[in-house]
This record gives sequence, structure tokens and C-alpha cells, in this order.
Amino acid sequence: MARLIVERVTKTFGAFRALDEVSLDVSDGEFIAILGPSGCGKTTLLRQIAGFDKLDGGRIVIGDTVVSAVAQHVPPERRRIGIVFQSYALWPHMTVAENVAYGLTVAGVRDPERARRVEAALALVELEGYAARRPSLLSGGQRQRVALARCLVTEPSLVLLDEPLANLDVHLRASMEDEFARFHARTGTTMVYITHDQAEAMALADRIAVMDSGRLLQVATPSQLYREPADTTVAAFIGEGIVVPAEVVDVDGRGRCRVDLFGMSVGMRCAPAQRPTRAARACLRAGNLSIVGAGPPGIGARVVRSIYQGGHFRIEAQLDHADGVLVHLELAEPCQLAPGDAIRIGIDDGWVLPGTGGDVDAAATAPGARRRPDDGAVATDANG
Amino acid sequence: MADTAGWRERAEETALLWALVAIVAILSLLPLARLLFEGVAPGGRFSTAALTSVLSSDTTWTAARHSLLTASGGTVLAVLIGATVAVLVGLTDIRGRNTFVFCFVLPLMIAPQVVALAWLQLFGPSSTLLKMIGLAPAMGSRNPLYSGQGIILLLGVQYAPLVFLTLRAGLRTLPQELLEAGLAAGAKPATILRTIVLPLMTPALVAGIALAFVSCLGNFGIPAFLGIPGNYLVLPTLIYQRLAGLGPSVLSEVAVLSCLIGFIAVLGIFLQDLMLRRRDFRITTTSNAMRPFELARWRLAVEIALWILTIVVLVLPLVALLLSSLVPAVGVPLTMKSATWSNYDYVLFDHAAAKRAFVNSFSLSATAAVVIVLVAVPLAYFLVWRRSRLLRVLNLVTEMPYALPGVVLAIAAILVFLKPLPVLGVTLYNTVWIILFGYLARFLVLGLRPVIGGYYQLDRTLEEAAQLAGARLLRRLATIILPLVAPMVIAGALLVFLTAFNELTVSALLWSSGAETLGVVVFSFQQGGDSTYAAALAMLTVAVTIALMLSTLLTGKPARGVLPWRG
Amino acid sequence: MNYLLRGVWLAAALVTMLAPISAHAQVPKGKLVLYTSQPERDATQTTTAFKQAYPGVEVEVFRSGTTEVMAKLAAEFAAGAPKADVLLIADAASMEALKKDGRLLAYPEAKVAGLAAGTYDADRTYFGSKLITTGIAVNTAAKSRPASWADLAKPENKGQIAMPSPLYSGAAAIMLGTMTARPDLGWAFFEKLKADEAVAVRGNGAVLTAVASGEKPYGVLVDFMAFNAKAKGSPIDFIFPAEGVPAVTEPVAMLKTTQNAAAARAFIDFILSDEGQKLALSMGYIPARASVGTPSWLPPGMVIKLMPTDIGNVVQNNSANLKRFAELFGN
Repeated sequence: MARLIVERVTKTFGAFRALDEVSLDVSDGEFIAILGPSGCGKTTLLRQIAGFDKLDGGRIVIGDTVVSAVAQHVPPERRRIGIVFQSYALWPHMTVAENVAYGLTVAGVRDPERARRVEAALALVELEGYAARRPSLLSGGQRQRVALARCLVTEPSLVLLDEPLANLDVHLRASMEDEFARFHARTGTTMVYITHDQAEAMALADRIAVMDSGRLLQVATPSQLYREPADTTVAAFIGEGIVVPAEVVDVDGRGRCRVDLFGMSVGMRCAPAQRPTRAARACLRAGNLSIVGAGPPGIGARVVRSIYQGGHFRIEAQLDHADGVLVHLELAEPCQLAPGDAIRIGIDDGWVLPGTGGDVDAAATAPGARRRPDDGAVATDANG
Repeated sequence: MADTAGWRERAEETALLWALVAIVAILSLLPLARLLFEGVAPGGRFSTAALTSVLSSDTTWTAARHSLLTASGGTVLAVLIGATVAVLVGLTDIRGRNTFVFCFVLPLMIAPQVVALAWLQLFGPSSTLLKMIGLAPAMGSRNPLYSGQGIILLLGVQYAPLVFLTLRAGLRTLPQELLEAGLAAGAKPATILRTIVLPLMTPALVAGIALAFVSCLGNFGIPAFLGIPGNYLVLPTLIYQRLAGLGPSVLSEVAVLSCLIGFIAVLGIFLQDLMLRRRDFRITTTSNAMRPFELARWRLAVEIALWILTIVVLVLPLVALLLSSLVPAVGVPLTMKSATWSNYDYVLFDHAAAKRAFVNSFSLSATAAVVIVLVAVPLAYFLVWRRSRLLRVLNLVTEMPYALPGVVLAIAAILVFLKPLPVLGVTLYNTVWIILFGYLARFLVLGLRPVIGGYYQLDRTLEEAAQLAGARLLRRLATIILPLVAPMVIAGALLVFLTAFNELTVSALLWSSGAETLGVVVFSFQQGGDSTYAAALAMLTVAVTIALMLSTLLTGKPARGVLPWRG
Repeated sequence: MNYLLRGVWLAAALVTMLAPISAHAQVPKGKLVLYTSQPERDATQTTTAFKQAYPGVEVEVFRSGTTEVMAKLAAEFAAGAPKADVLLIADAASMEALKKDGRLLAYPEAKVAGLAAGTYDADRTYFGSKLITTGIAVNTAAKSRPASWADLAKPENKGQIAMPSPLYSGAAAIMLGTMTARPDLGWAFFEKLKADEAVAVRGNGAVLTAVASGEKPYGVLVDFMAFNAKAKGSPIDFIFPAEGVPAVTEPVAMLKTTQNAAAARAFIDFILSDEGQKLALSMGYIPARASVGTPSWLPPGMVIKLMPTDIGNVVQNNSANLKRFAELFGN
């Protein structure tokens, strides 16, 4: 009943394209995270799904009902959707119980049924003793849980969570993450979780949809997203991928290939359909890089920074070959490297970004600087 | 099924929107359009004679310049006084706050001309006070209040409570942690005030500024008292002057001059829109209201200053009023022997109309206040959150009936309602309903501006949460939005009530036997030279209002922080 | 059309008369709408007495300032349905303007015998009901008592004079028109007042307050207001200046559009009747019908010297006069 289909949804504000033909298919009971830097359009998408705004193209289907299309718009109050807002949006003039009961009252549910359900919802978020309190007397985490109880008490077909943990401290975040996960397991509700925090998204979601500049770049499971990013933006955004120019020399048609990277030959993963090309790009993870001695193949580099991160060092280095290319890797203690030291870096694996072949100019462009002409301000550092 | 989903919601919203459009159009647009029609087509024949004669007259532009000058000056002064007092009362630990608030809003109840007279006497040659301190001007010297500056001074004093009330209602929503964050960042209270409090209070402040401006622009009583002797013309007195002139083109000229006032008022709204554009004033937290700043050693000084202000703006005119109500005739010195209750006797027992007027004015102002806020809450919803283009255009006209002298609105109402209403066949003319119409049209803006300010400060997710819970618009308005903007709604209703209760110029043309208002009776007494009766009736009005306001302190428990004089 | 209101000599003796109201051909009944600028109490007394005389007629009153009454009328004319049947307003100039617009219905059979000549329109459209003169009011504490207009305008009274502004008051506009037309006063008089920094306030009520409270020791004021205040104890005196006093007549008239001409005629009859005139007398006015007597405040034997007013001339020159006045008293 609660499958969510977003089909080529477009929304413009004046000349600005906030959503550009976004398509997404969320199956019943799935927990999907929509991840992207601020300003990428994820909140606009959420407001479209909730029905607060009318769309300019495409359609949105919840269950069997087309709720949004150009000529059709089911108002939010008829969509049976729950939202947990970033600001919680608790009504300050009502008690906790009244906040939770509101949706039931509106739906015509009366006591004792209403009281029973409110009690159950509060029990679910472990706030049984707080029914008579005002929201202003609760802590941030408690407010969050009231908001959750309020949105779930009416058993919505779909729950949207708009950066629900953004206002909480780190410890509370971890426990609320657990809470959401348990909650999802217990209720089986379809959940759409908006966030800019990839750790949160990876920890919670069945699948993650990465958005940037109003476009949906990739929808995949967390591990797939990490291992096989679809393009340079996703690669750079997720897990701080290092994107470098590469030449695909040889492919086996089953997802392995041999790549020439700054003159060094490396075996990498790639799409089965990948063809040899001079102008490919590869995504390297810090874990693929290591410091090697003079013997094994390696690329010369110079240490720029060395940061202690508890148990290991993060080494940032500049490759000798292509100026401007910064790489980083982790090195276990002890480590005596200092900025300016010359090192050799070995690479044991990587992922050839699909769809980068045939673009002859690409090789000449500095990595990470490959941008579409229309988006001058893509934030590649999502956590910044 | 998809096609029918939500049609009820849409129908409900569309119906509400069009009902509001109709209400605003009928209240604000219809009378003015009818008047304007009279301006360009007197008697139904098109003519630009009035237009050219008015617009080519130097007098018109002098009056327009003076109007702009006094309205701006009065507004600046009202904002300085009103905002200072609101901040001191709202954010610091002064004592006797409730009593002070009470006293500070009361002058709204006292007719401008009473205030003007009290001030004239205070600064004139016969001033007892100035004589006491040896500063009385020589007999026959010109009273300095008979000037543009005098008008500005009195307008500022008269309308400071407007700014105060709207800002105070806004300050109630200010959460403590925003100030604490500022303190933690090392800011001094004055810096916090400038960088956090005032920016967040912009919507309330702008609402207050807009109201003060349009009130100053439309005020007739003060420039009539202070401007006529010095021949310092403003548009409302010029209009009155034209009305007193003879000749068939009176209405046309008045209509054209009214449009000029309306134009200046609309400029004010544009300015207001400009100030509110593209900024975020929403206060999203739900924490407790703030703890007051400690004034420490300054407290006593501030308290003394505030009470001196109260004496000047309230006690002084009130005492002047009281004294004139106790003497048998104007100019008789008040002594134990000459003091008399006979004026009160007369208005209370011998004058049937006075009692009727009391009941009429009370019911009319209370009804107007309730109806106006009931309209204002959904109207502001569409204006602020839906940004309906049609309503935004109409929004511009809501100020005009208030910016025009009451007598002009009354003329417009007569033009519209003299003949039986089409279709219904009912005549409103010569009934109490035409006065109610006049009040609704004239004071709509007083209720609307504070409520709009309240919406700007509201985090819309609170409404969206209710929407997702399945609540339709009317329900959301009643159960979520109304309680959240309640302080501003009460401030607005109070402004409407206090102003209408005391209103004089609209009903002076619209009343009929049995439908007298207090203003009409007071006006009648004054015109007949019976200013002692007028003073007695005005004193009674103030007394009843004080009693009403006090009774709100004794009754049950209305939501905290809603009534401005309840802590 | 010129008709002059000149030198009316009022008898000092109060004549007691109890003449019954003349018999009416047909008994008027129904509703009568009266628009008046009489003071509230006077308006109530007038209608009460009228209703006693004509019990069949129900009177509805709209009472306000002259400006407001005229504005209401103007709006009603513009909307095409005037509601008033009869008018009783302060000055003949307003009536003259209405007459010019063809709004008034003549009443040729009105009983004008015994009325001072010139108090009523020669075409019998409006009829003065009383004489309201404008003279000099002085606070009893004032240094001197000016015996003439010329005395008032002397430089020693600088800053001590209040007067009603003709820009805002029809009665004051008549005063302006009358006095500027005289060779002995003329515009020179007003120029002297300006040099004396006289203040022009909105109406007679404001002048009374200013003079009685001592704010301005001297004022240009209507007689009855000064005398009524004096009777109640206000420290005020009224002086009839040597040159004479301008006067308004508070005329009564019926509108062409009246719904009840019979009752309207009855109202005019009543106002002009001995009973109606005595009522005006009891309110402290000088009645138009000299035979009913003079008010008690007029000292016995006192002679009021009225300035002639050429109403037609006043109306014609009104806007020019007002413009000149506004310029003269402008800052």
C-alpha cells in the first residue's frame, strides 16, 4: 500500500531548477535516505512528497494514488503522511499528550480509543511519564521522540524525516539512530530520511539516494554506493573518495580491468560494460593506498600534512606527477612522516567511474574540477 | 478516486479565500471606489475639473508635504517612545510592570483633542505647572505647540501605545536561549538588544511603525487643534476645510484629496513590505520565555523616568479632563466650593442618549474587535503564507479607510448604502449597522497589522505538522494558528476596541436616533459649548474602560502572556 | 438677488403672549426627518415641543455640526436619495447655496408677517428663525474691555485674541464676508488682527474654551454661547462692539425632495410661530419675531446694532475671501 514512486519530478523557482527530473522508486516498508549537501534539493523533494508545494513536471504516486501531478494535487492533509521536522514543530500551547493526540482528534478518534493509542505511542518512544508536560520543559531528545510519536500515532503509510538529528548532540544522535532503526523494524513503515550526514544515512538506510544540484545522481545500497559510485560527484562526496585521471588499458568484461595510473599499472574494479579508454577516471579509497618502498610499483609523492586520529595517522600527500592532486591514506602508529617528506604510494584497488570514457578532454582536466557548466557551486565537501 | 481526493479541502480553501477577498473588497475597496467615482464623475458625468483644480493648487501640495512631514515625524517619535518602553517593560526587571502597562495603553482611550487641550494648557501662558517653576511664557506669547513640531510631538505621544502594544506582544515570543547565546558570546545587553532582539522583532516593530504612520496620517483631532490656529494645513484638515466650503464640487474635491492621502498610505505599505522582504524572523524554539535583564543600580532611575512619562501622557490629560468635569462652567476656578457633580448627574441621569450611547459604543466596538480579528487571522494566513496576489493588492487598500479622516469614510459609506442593497432589498442607512460597517472598514488595519506581524514570527512547520496530521485549513486556523498568534490577536483586538470606543468622526455622520455613539454625544456637547458635560462623559468612559481592564485581572486564567497588562 | 438685513431694532420689553397655534387646513402626520446643527439640547427641546403641537408627526433628528450636516446632505444628493425633509442650520449662506442648486422647496404661504425684514428669503425658500450675533467675548480678568472692533484690533492686544476660523465654519465665513465688505473695517481690520497674532480656531466652542479658561482673554464669539456660559458661572462677558455685529439667522427650509411636505410646512410654521419663537427665546436666543421679546441677558433698553449682510454677495465672494484669509493667516 505504501510504495512511493517519484517520476521525473521537476520544480523550478523562477529561473532556478530546484528539482530536475528526479525519479525514485521506494518499495513498501523500505527505509530510504536522501543524502546530499545543503541546497541540493532534498528538502524541496520532501516538500513535494508531502504536498506542501505543487510540482512543475512529472508525478508522485503514494500507494495506488497519484498525489502530485501537474494537473492534480492532493493536499497534504489527505496524504496520510507523517513528518518529523528538523525543528520538531511541536505545538507549544499543547501538552505532550495533546500534541500526540491531535492527529487522532482530527481523524475523529475519541476517547478511550484515542487515549489508549496516545499512551501506546508514548510508550513506544519511552515517554510514558511525560504526557502532561509542555514541550518547552523537555530536552531535545525528548522533543524528538514526541515528534516521532506524534507522527506515528496515526499510522501513516509513509514517514518523512527531515534531518531529524541535526539539532541533537553526538551521543543523542547515536541513540536516536538506534531508536529509528528499531522503530522501522517494529512498524515496517516506509520511511524517507532526509540528511546531509552520510554516516547517518549509511547506518540507517536500506538504500541511499544521493542528490546534487536538483538532480538524483545515484540510488544504491550503502555498500554499493561506497564501492561503486556512479560519477565523480558521488565518488568525492561519499567516503571522501579520491578521483584521479586514469587510462583503462584492458578489460575482462566481468568487472575487472587494468588501468594505467600516472604510469603505474593497477588492477581495478569496473562495470562489466567498461571499454578501454584513455580518458577514464578512477575512484580511490584511502584504504587502497599504502606507502611502499623503492621496490614495488608506486607513485612518487610529497607529504603535505600528517594528522593523528587516535591509533592511526591520516597522511595527506601531493602526487609528483599531476600537480594539484591531493591524496590521503591512513598509516598505523608509529609514524615519523613530516610535511615535506618524499614517499612512494602503492595502489592495490580502485573503481573506474562508469561513463567517463570517450571524453577526451577529461584527462586534461584537473580531478575534482570536472563540473557541469550549469553548476558553478557544487559542494564536494559534504560535511563542510 | 485520485481526481476526487482533496476536492473538499480545495473547495474549503477556495471558498474561504474568496470570502476574504469579498470582505476586504467590500470593506476597503467599495466605499473608496465609490468616492473616487464621485471625484472623476460627479453626478455620473465624467469631469476632470476637480482633479485639475485640486492637483494644481499650491495649498494641496503644502498640505500633502505637511502631512508627510508630521506623519513621519510623529511615527519616529511614537516608535522611539513606544519601543523604548516596550523593551524596558518586556526585557528588564522593573517593578510594577502590570500597573505601568495598564497606564501606558490608557491614553489610547482619551480623545486626541482632550490630550491636545491638556498639553496646550500645560505649555500655555495659563499653565499652573509652568507658573510654579517660573517658566510660564508671558501672557499673549504664542504657544509653541501651535506648529508642525507641536503636532508631531502630540502625534508621537498619542500613538506610542500602538507601537508599544504590537512590540510587547512580539517580545513575548522571544525565547530565553537566543539572549543567553548572545550573553555567552560576550555581548552586553545593549548589544544583544541591537543585534538580536530588535532584528527578530522586526515584524512586530514594522507592524507598529505602519500603524503609527497611518494613524498619524489620518489623525484629524490633533492638527485641527494645533494646526488650524497656526494655519498649518495637513490633508485631513484641508479636506475638512473643503467640506465647510460652499459649492457643488465639494465631494469631488474631497474625493481627490482622499486619494492623495490614500496614495501616501500605500507608500507606507510598500515601505513595510520592503523592510520585511527576504528575511527570516521565525522563532523556532519552544523554550520558556526569557528571564528579565537586571537593571541593577539603574532600576530606580528607569522606573522614575517611566513614571514621569506616564504622568505626562496619561495623568496630565486625565487630570485636565477630571478638572473640567468637576466645574460648573468653563473657566470657573475649581475650589472646594465650586466643585460639583452636576455634570455627571446630567450625563448619567438627565440625558437619555448618553446611556444609550454607552451601550451602543460598547457593543459596536466589541463586535468590531471580534469580527475584525476573526477576519484578520485567516486573511493574514493568505497574505503571509499563501502570498495570494489578489489579496496582496487588496492589502494595499486596507490602510486607506483608516488613513482618511473619518468624515470622508462616512461620506463614502453614505454613497454606498443610502439606497437599499441590491438583491437583498435591505437598507443599512440610518441603522446601527452602517456604523458597524464604518468601524469594520476603518479599523480592520488595526487588527490586521499585528496579526500579520505574528505570522511573520511563526515557524510554518507548526502548521505543516497539523496539516500532515490531517487537519483541514479551518481546523488548523482554530486549533493551531490562533493559539500561537493569540498575543498579537489580543493586541489587535484591543487596539480596535479602544480606538472604536472613543471614535468620533465616523459616527458623526452615520448615527441616527437611537444609534448614538459616545463620540457623537461628546461631539455634540463640545459643539454646543458644553465642554463640561463632554468632560464628564469622557471621564466616565475612561473609568468604565479601566474597570473592564481590571476585571480581566480578577477573572479566571486566560492563556498566559495574552493580555498585555498581565504578566 | 439682494435682500438686506439691516438695522433691526429689538424691543426691550418682554411681551407675554399665549397665542394658540393657528388652525391647520389638514392635520399633518407621518414621519418627518429633520437635519439640524442646533446644539443637542436645543434640538431635543425643539422637536419635543413640535411633537406636542403636532402629535401626529413623528420626528427623526440628525444633529451634527453644520459642516457635517452639509457633508451628509451632499453625499445623499450624490447618491440620489436625500432623506431629509426639513433643515434647520446655522447660516443663510449654506441655504443660499442649496437654493442655487435647486434643492429647496419654496413655501409662499409661510407666515412671515412680524418677522424682521431680511431674515427670510424673498422667494420664501428659507426663513431665519433667530438672530445669532457675533461680538467680542472677554475674560472677566482681562485688562481692558474693548468697546469696538477697532479697539479689539489694537496692538496692545497682541497675542490675546481667538476667533473662529472662516475656513472651517460657515457662520464665521459670513462674518468675514460681512466685515470685509464694510469700509470702516474691511480687510485692514483682519490685517491688524493678523499683526496681533490672533489665532483662528476651529469653531465657536473652541473660542469659548479659550476665553473662559483665560488662555486668550479676548475672543470673537457668538452671543448665546457667551451668555449661557456666563449664566453658568464662567468668567466671561460679551460686548456688542460700537460698529455693530454681524449675525446669522439659523434658517429653516424644506427640501424639494421631501416625502412629507405637509409635516415639513407644519415644522416651518411651528418654528416661525409665537410658540416656536418663545422657545428660541427661552433657549437664550434673540428670536426673529421681535414681538415675543428679547432674552434676559439683553439689558433692558439695550439696542443691538446689526451689520447689514448681503448674502448673495457673501456667497459670490466666498471662495475669494477664504483664499485671501488663508493667505493672510498662513505662516
